[in-house]
Amino acid sequence: MAKQKCVAMLLAGGKGSRLKELTENLAKPAVPFGGKYRIIDFPLSNCANSGIHTVGVLTQYQPLVLNSYIGIGSAWDLDRKNGGVTVLPPYSESSEVKWYSGTASAIYQNLNYIKQYDPEYVLILSGDHIYKMNYDTMLDYHIEKQADVTISVIEVPWEEASRFGIMNTDADFNVTRFDEKPEKPESNLASMGIYIFKWSVLQRYLEMDESNPDSSNDFGKDVIPAMLADNLKLIAYPFKGYWKDVGTVKSLWEANMDLLDEKQDLNLFEYSWRIYSVNPNQPPQIIGSKAKVQHSLVNEGCIIDGVIEQSVMFQGVEVEEEAVLKECVVMPNARIGRGSYIERAIVMGDLEIPENTVIRNDSNDILLVTEQFLMEHTEQQSKVEEA
Amino acid sequence: MKKSMLGVIDATMLPGEMGDLALYRSPAAIPFAGRYRLIDFVLSNMVNSGVQSVAIFPRSPYRSLMDHLGSGKDWDLNRKRDGLFFFPSPTKEGQLDRMSEHLDYFHRSDQKYVIVSNCTTVANMDFAPVLDRFIKQNCDVLEVTHKGESTYIYLLSLELLLDLIDQRNETGYESVRAAVEDASSSLIKCQYEFEGFLQRIKTVDDYYQTSMQLLEKDKWSELFNEFQPIYTKVKDEPPTNYLAGSHVTNAMIANGCIISGEVNHSIVFRGVAIGKNSTIKDSIVMQKSKIGENCVLEHVIIDKDVSVQDGAILRGTPEKPLVIKKGSVESAVTSS
Repeated sequence: MAKQKCVAMLLAGGKGSRLKELTENLAKPAVPFGGKYRIIDFPLSNCANSGIHTVGVLTQYQPLVLNSYIGIGSAWDLDRKNGGVTVLPPYSESSEVKWYSGTASAIYQNLNYIKQYDPEYVLILSGDHIYKMNYDTMLDYHIEKQADVTISVIEVPWEEASRFGIMNTDADFNVTRFDEKPEKPESNLASMGIYIFKWSVLQRYLEMDESNPDSSNDFGKDVIPAMLADNLKLIAYPFKGYWKDVGTVKSLWEANMDLLDEKQDLNLFEYSWRIYSVNPNQPPQIIGSKAKVQHSLVNEGCIIDGVIEQSVMFQGVEVEEEAVLKECVVMPNARIGRGSYIERAIVMGDLEIPENTVIRNDSNDILLVTEQFLMEHTEQQSKVEEA
Repeated sequence: MKKSMLGVIDATMLPGEMGDLALYRSPAAIPFAGRYRLIDFVLSNMVNSGVQSVAIFPRSPYRSLMDHLGSGKDWDLNRKRDGLFFFPSPTKEGQLDRMSEHLDYFHRSDQKYVIVSNCTTVANMDFAPVLDRFIKQNCDVLEVTHKGESTYIYLLSLELLLDLIDQRNETGYESVRAAVEDASSSLIKCQYEFEGFLQRIKTVDDYYQTSMQLLEKDKWSELFNEFQPIYTKVKDEPPTNYLAGSHVTNAMIANGCIISGEVNHSIVFRGVAIGKNSTIKDSIVMQKSKIGENCVLEHVIIDKDVSVQDGAILRGTPEKPLVIKKGSVESAVTSS
């Protein structure tokens, strides 16, 4: 294999259990987003656009959809003769099957993959976030600062800081301390889970971490603190722009709604930084003569005859006449029956919403409309009618 | 059995009455139905019918056709064996003459039958039953018809095609069509009547009327179904953004558009922007064109990369739609 300056390792094994039924049969990075994408399209497109063409994707939980989606990486122009995308599932050694027990152990078990490219730097990414970022600029920063590790950070609102891994830095962004979800945060610089390591340093510390029986094999909890304790040069790379963890039903819905908000800094229409995805190859969308589409994103293959406001429609969604959707995200190939009304919800893919189904949402939460939800909803409705 | 057919697409059609739509491109490459080019239909039909080797005979200018087809990847035709072949013949005119320059291809192929098609037929057609009929009736050459008229799509054996090429000077046949249309020939000719939606695009009027027909749901669903998809060059456009205040009805809209204005009974291609208070009615707007604010477009075909500036008013008639050339700039002054 020819030498690569920088190899990216994308952690895509996350279960994302707070996404409930959305991740029942799907790894979190494969969760649909923004009318045509999956979450993993963002880091993969960022890699392609940043000129990083060697990407190992570490999968573990429910990998079927994810594996077939990634394929040989041609959707992101990452089908390369040298490098390209490689899916790296856990594998069995002669003695035992080794599941990835933590983020660090996942990389450790694939050291041989990295070694074959003899890189100078390794970029660690996660498949859980929506953002556009030039990793090459971050790499330049890492090289210029002569750091051992560069950690991308973003300012978060102080009141939310205790939900994140927080970096405390000096005035020159040297990391002095790392606090995982601190009760009383002393900084509001949150780690974005994006690291650039000097390959030699990473290799040494991963080997040390693996031989430590007390380690939980996690970058944030174990590897980074060990490096700090040894006084390595860890530097924060301040990122400005849109970045969102879509780990819950609500945050996934919010991120979709952010696409409709012109004030937000996430522009899918930017030609120079395209987000690529596997094309479903569907005909153009059809907007019927009685339809009303307002402030919404609609993908190919949709047939809209009803009213949609402030909503995101994935490919192949049908909205029948007199149906009304407000602030909804409708996953691929769902059908909304005539006369239905749904608000503030995510509708699962392939779901058939029967005619005249009314789903109101007065709560602060976002509803996840699944087959189970529909059954319970219908039961409740008929009870109300009986009474 | 299915793999036994070769596809030949004759894309040497002259612009004729396609007017400004074929100014810079082969009629095969004219954008159609929001995200396709005319050739996508016959090419996808071949692929969906199991054809794995397709030869395209283009006529200059064919840059845009080549750019569209690329390696054939989007039609799954980037194969090690067989695949997509592009056979320009700058010095020859007749169809069989052109084929004679690329005899190697036909000799090398081990398929038994050949579909020879024109490049501007819009239909979703499975060739498997056509081949069944051909074999059952022991035909020499089969002609696909629609409503009793020829579609100029033929099926014949590779052997016969090679004979036709070989003997073209003695017979005087310039094309497969000429052989079929010669009443005195001894060939066993059969017909296959195609029942579904089919239109052959030869003029601007055909283009406009057929496009508008696709706004009727029954016609649309005869052309597009999930089992025999029409493939085209993949673009990575985001979903279309309907801004607050936009008003879209009875329209076919491709991805990557940003719509503020009003669109009624129209077709909008990929990556089009339509500004505030603009009204687009009974019109077709091709890819990447920008319509400014306060514009009025009625019965207009806007080609690619056109800029219609604020306040411009463009009107054609249902019988004679106004065609705006690729890349032009229409200001409020020039149009009034």
